[in-house]
Amino acid sequence: MTFIATLVVALFLGLFARLWFLQVLAGERYVELADSNQVRTVITEAPRGRILTSDGVELARNRVALALSVDRQVLFRADGQLRDSDAERVISRLAELLELEPSTVLQRLSSQRRSPFRPVPIAIDITPEILFFVRERQEMFPGVVAEYLPVREYPSGEIAAHVVGTVGEVSANELTDSQFSEYRGGDILGRGGLESSYETDLRGVAGRQLLVANARGVVLGVQSQRDPVEGNTLVTTIDFGLQTAVEQALRDGIESSRSIRRKDGQLLPSVAGSAVVLDARTGGVLAMASYPTFNPNEFVGGVSQDYWSFVNDPDNYRPLVNRAIAGAYPPGSVFKTASAAAFMQAGLITPSQTRRCDAAFTVGGTTFRNWNRGVNEGPMTVVEALFRSCDTYFYDLAYENWRSEQRRQDGREYLVEVANRFGLGVSVGIDLPGAVNGRVPGRQWREEFWLNARDMYCAQAAEAQPGSLRFELLDDLCRFGGVWRGGDAINSSIGQGDVLSTPLQVAVSYQALANDGMVMRPHVGQTILNPNGEVVQEVVPERLGTLGLTDAELAAIKRGVEQAVNSPRGTAFNVFASSPLFSLGVAGKTGTAEVRPLVPYAWFAGYAPMDDPEIVVVVNVEQGGGGSQTAAPIVRTIMEHYFGFTDAAEETFSPGDEILD
Amino acid sequence: MSTYDRGFVTTPNSGSRRSAMLSPLRRIDGVLLAAVLALTGIGFVAIYSSNLVALTTQDISPTVFVNRQLLALMMALIVLTVAVTFDYRDIRTATPVLYVAAVLLLIVTLTPLGTEIRGSQRWILLFGVQLQAAEFAKIGVLLALAAVFHEAKGQPRLAHVAGAIAVTVVPTMLVFLQPDLGTSIVFLWVLAVACVVAGVRLRGLIAMGVAALAGVIAAVQFGLIQSYQIGRLTAFLNADDPTIAQSAAFQTRQSLIAIGSGQFAGRGLFQGTQTSLSYVPDNHTDFIFTVIGEEFGFVGSTIVLGLFFVVVWRGLRIAINAKDVFGSVVATGIVAMLTLQMFVNIGMTVGIMPVTGLPLPFLSYGGTSLIAWFAMVGLLLNIHMRRF
Repeated sequence: MTFIATLVVALFLGLFARLWFLQVLAGERYVELADSNQVRTVITEAPRGRILTSDGVELARNRVALALSVDRQVLFRADGQLRDSDAERVISRLAELLELEPSTVLQRLSSQRRSPFRPVPIAIDITPEILFFVRERQEMFPGVVAEYLPVREYPSGEIAAHVVGTVGEVSANELTDSQFSEYRGGDILGRGGLESSYETDLRGVAGRQLLVANARGVVLGVQSQRDPVEGNTLVTTIDFGLQTAVEQALRDGIESSRSIRRKDGQLLPSVAGSAVVLDARTGGVLAMASYPTFNPNEFVGGVSQDYWSFVNDPDNYRPLVNRAIAGAYPPGSVFKTASAAAFMQAGLITPSQTRRCDAAFTVGGTTFRNWNRGVNEGPMTVVEALFRSCDTYFYDLAYENWRSEQRRQDGREYLVEVANRFGLGVSVGIDLPGAVNGRVPGRQWREEFWLNARDMYCAQAAEAQPGSLRFELLDDLCRFGGVWRGGDAINSSIGQGDVLSTPLQVAVSYQALANDGMVMRPHVGQTILNPNGEVVQEVVPERLGTLGLTDAELAAIKRGVEQAVNSPRGTAFNVFASSPLFSLGVAGKTGTAEVRPLVPYAWFAGYAPMDDPEIVVVVNVEQGGGGSQTAAPIVRTIMEHYFGFTDAAEETFSPGDEILD
Repeated sequence: MSTYDRGFVTTPNSGSRRSAMLSPLRRIDGVLLAAVLALTGIGFVAIYSSNLVALTTQDISPTVFVNRQLLALMMALIVLTVAVTFDYRDIRTATPVLYVAAVLLLIVTLTPLGTEIRGSQRWILLFGVQLQAAEFAKIGVLLALAAVFHEAKGQPRLAHVAGAIAVTVVPTMLVFLQPDLGTSIVFLWVLAVACVVAGVRLRGLIAMGVAALAGVIAAVQFGLIQSYQIGRLTAFLNADDPTIAQSAAFQTRQSLIAIGSGQFAGRGLFQGTQTSLSYVPDNHTDFIFTVIGEEFGFVGSTIVLGLFFVVVWRGLRIAINAKDVFGSVVATGIVAMLTLQMFVNIGMTVGIMPVTGLPLPFLSYGGTSLIAWFAMVGLLLNIHMRRF
């Protein structure tokens, strides 16, 4: 009896202890669990904000799409399994109707991106026939509903595609990132372009309903409700008409240049290119184009396999890349404005002094030739050196500068310093993702680069055949690769060697000239409007800095680029002489960048009107040959459009026929 | 073991036959009865709360379960009165009849006359009422065991033990076939406790224990116990793992959330979300304790435990004071059964025991169970009244 009594007491104490633990010690945790049990969250997507051009044309908006959706509560049990064989048959009927695999249908339905209380879209943009088929046989499709969903749309298609970007679903990887802590699986976010850089403004605030539901999932009431807030509208600096004209001029210019034969008889490849038009005073991007381009609509709701392989096929020259900001090329002669400024700042030459423009410049046994191959053009000022684009003039100054820097050993590198002020080799702070900084090399860069690559050079040298040219080269790099040599300085001075710039950076450097030395931050966003059309935020033109040149120095450089177009001896004279623009006054500089073993890359950077500049235009054509041959004619067409001389060029695009650097 | 009952003044051998019959009534154990009625009352509140929202949202009267249970309670009170009125020694003589009737009911349950609900054939329809024969069989087995050991007069021999095993095993097997593993275990437990109380020696007890263990192993080995049953029995160990979709683990998890979220003082009557939103399946029957735990908290749970303790304490006291082996085996058996069922049931809701279909005595919704338990309370009172 004692045994039984003890046992009974022990059992009671056991239950008592367990209840103490559950209710008193761990109770709070269970309160939370109970609360999360009963409350279901339903998210309603906010319509994304629109993207407009400065003249009010919609570059991105939302379209209402007809979608076929499935109410999971009808077909699935609480544990996610299909309810019964009837539900299975509904799935297979749907699969047949939509020409999908049943597993694909199930996979779309199992997506966790949506609340179980909202139908899950399994097909967007269905045909009316499919809708009627389902409506007429609704008893065969229980839980299948048609609904209208907001879908991102780019009404202008390829126009400004690189600037606008596109949208996609947030990836599983991004969701683990704290930056995306406010996102839930299945949310849409900007991919590239303004869609990405203005994501926070465009996104809006999703609506949220907290529903009280019982264990069977039946909603018994609404605990709280927050309506979705539409995203803000982004008004850009893009001019729709100009943008369209720029894209057409770029495409036509590139494609028609492919009929030009080079000296070796081969046709110009002109594989790709880009164009930038800046407001000369504010730095606002009026147009930006990259060729080849893509259609952002293809990415909405998931890109097709075909289109994805198309845009990633190397033979198509990567249409997704915005070459205007992400293409870093040797700038060639368009860089000479920065070099000229640097050598004047270094005190090596004044605007009135002259220097020789020999056919070739020899230093340490190496000969550097002028682009004109063999003509000695005699002494010239910096103005003439620019409009004749004399390489040897710059070689001479670069070498002298290099020697004096070697002597001084104060670490100052004028070319790097001044070029950076021009926006070259540094970030220019554009409000687009994916912009690269390019490079203006110098001693410091060379040493860092060598320290990283030295082991590789030395290892390769050890494997090379001693005495061979390859060995000599690698052995030299292994031991002395960190040395910034005179030859490096000479190459850099004409925008070759290791110098890299994006078309946007070149545009900024010419904008600074056009704007009396004031460097403006390039920007595409102009104003942000709330859904009621009220201004929320305005982008104020922002100064990146000044060129820091004397008036005489700035005037000399400007004179140089003016003469390049207007002097009969200027490298771009022939391109513009026949244009109505000529009387308006255009300033600009050609560039023909060597990218061995490829065909040179063509550049032209200019602004107009030269006395009171409104726009800055830069065009680059990859493997487009000479700057005056391919790039300058495109700039001419763009400027003619901007200044209203449309009848002259739009019908027949005529590339230049002469190679002048 | 003589005691003096402080509660009642007794007047032995008063004259008339009528007063002789009534006099034991004055010795009724009021504490026991009060505790039982209190538990039953709490049960009614919990049953009402458990389905209040679910029934209201389906436009069904929220009192539908309470009304049926009230009907059962009236029956139960009548049965209790009957069980109190007859001298339990007369009941002993009637034991064979009662036992055979109970076994017959169990057999009928297994025939097509029985009703299958959720895979178990446990109910029979009698006079328009659904009856759970196993609840009556508990009384039958208990009485039979007491009668067998009563013959042994405190010195059970092998024949008595064999008889006791025989009267238990038959209904155990019948219940097991339904299948109702929980009640089968209750029968074997009653057998074990009866053996101890009746004075079976340690040797014999150990032998029976070993035999039982061998039996269980054999049952598992030869597949008599279905794998889903083993799964159900072990599911409570993984109740915190929400990936287990198994219904038993889900049930235990929701039950833990309900009871835990009650915290110290409870969420208040009709305020439990787990209860009102039907997150705990079977919360008016087997999981009735979750309603108490959630809405009345640790305080309410402790009060219920305390009331059970009072019943058990009074029951053991009655067993000790019983004047013969029959009374003492019956009383101890009832207490043992009550303790086991209470522990297994509440233990199941707080996640320390497997999910078995044992209702919580007096509180769970279910007419047969209520009637059977009131009958047993009647027996206890009876034994107490006639202890001299």
